[in-house]
Amino acid sequence: MKWVSKDIEIYLTAKEYVDTAVIPLYSVSFGNEMKQSASNAEFITLLTNYLERQFTGRLMLVPPYTYLKSDQYEDIINGLKKWEENIDKEQFKHIFYITSEIDWKNFEDELKGSLIWLPSLPLEHLNESQRISMVESQVKQLQSLFTQKWHENL
Amino acid sequence: MSKHRVSRRQFLSYTLTGVGGFMAAGMLMPMVRFAIDPVLKAEAGGDFIATPLKIKDITTEPQRVDFTFEQKDAWYTSDVTNTAWVYKDEQDNIVALSPVCKHLGCTVGWASSEDHPDQFFCPCHFGRYTKDGTNVKGTPPLAPLDVYPIQEKDGLLYLGKAEPRTKEA
Repeated sequence: MKWVSKDIEIYLTAKEYVDTAVIPLYSVSFGNEMKQSASNAEFITLLTNYLERQFTGRLMLVPPYTYLKSDQYEDIINGLKKWEENIDKEQFKHIFYITSEIDWKNFEDELKGSLIWLPSLPLEHLNESQRISMVESQVKQLQSLFTQKWHENL
Repeated sequence: MSKHRVSRRQFLSYTLTGVGGFMAAGMLMPMVRFAIDPVLKAEAGGDFIATPLKIKDITTEPQRVDFTFEQKDAWYTSDVTNTAWVYKDEQDNIVALSPVCKHLGCTVGWASSEDHPDQFFCPCHFGRYTKDGTNVKGTPPLAPLDVYPIQEKDGLLYLGKAEPRTKEA
């Protein structure tokens, strides 16, 4: 489910089936790193959207948690923790963070959800069909990870 | 010289009728068009979209076909890729099923569950459909998979807009 009113309406009538929240993590930086920052975000957007399409009925794609890369790490993590607190634990038993920012790996233990780090692929040089197959192969691996997690908590 | 001499009066009345007729038509046409507008409207979504799949390559085993078309979302245009499961049934009819689960919209896969190799399977809540798209009783989906209308052109498969089937399991 996407963060649009139509999907949320469906969600409200089928809450018991949607138990997974996916939060993309975007870092924003300006100056020299601007392009890299955009390319990362683009990759994560494509990936999470495709993932949402595969698992529409079970996961909620939350708007991305966006932060300035130049900010203090404590602040960034505290910000995300606040999101965690606000997400209804009863409803969303599984929380996944998806990012291509390696720094998050150091703080994985502090987060309640599972952190998935994927190296960003330079998609801008690929044509449409190559892009799709690239993202698809990545998502396929994620899918098995998700189903595995779901099975653990049955 | 013609025998019928056109009098000035006749000439004027012909001219006036002609011009008047044009003016009346000019006024009435938009009104009529306006009145029957729904009839004139081109049917949205009625277009068939080409897929890369050749008709002769379709087998009895469902195979995945991706096809891309342009979608308008308010002023935002984007290329959307949709998927269909295509196969030939026993009567040699081509069947194209939508992969969107009728439960909550996940993407179903053919034979993606080891326990049910000849069914469509939804990984989200373990919904299942038989090969013809009928939902298996006792699993979450309440309706059969949508069906794409199909067309053949130049040996390629063309798909229309997926339509729900009314038949219940």
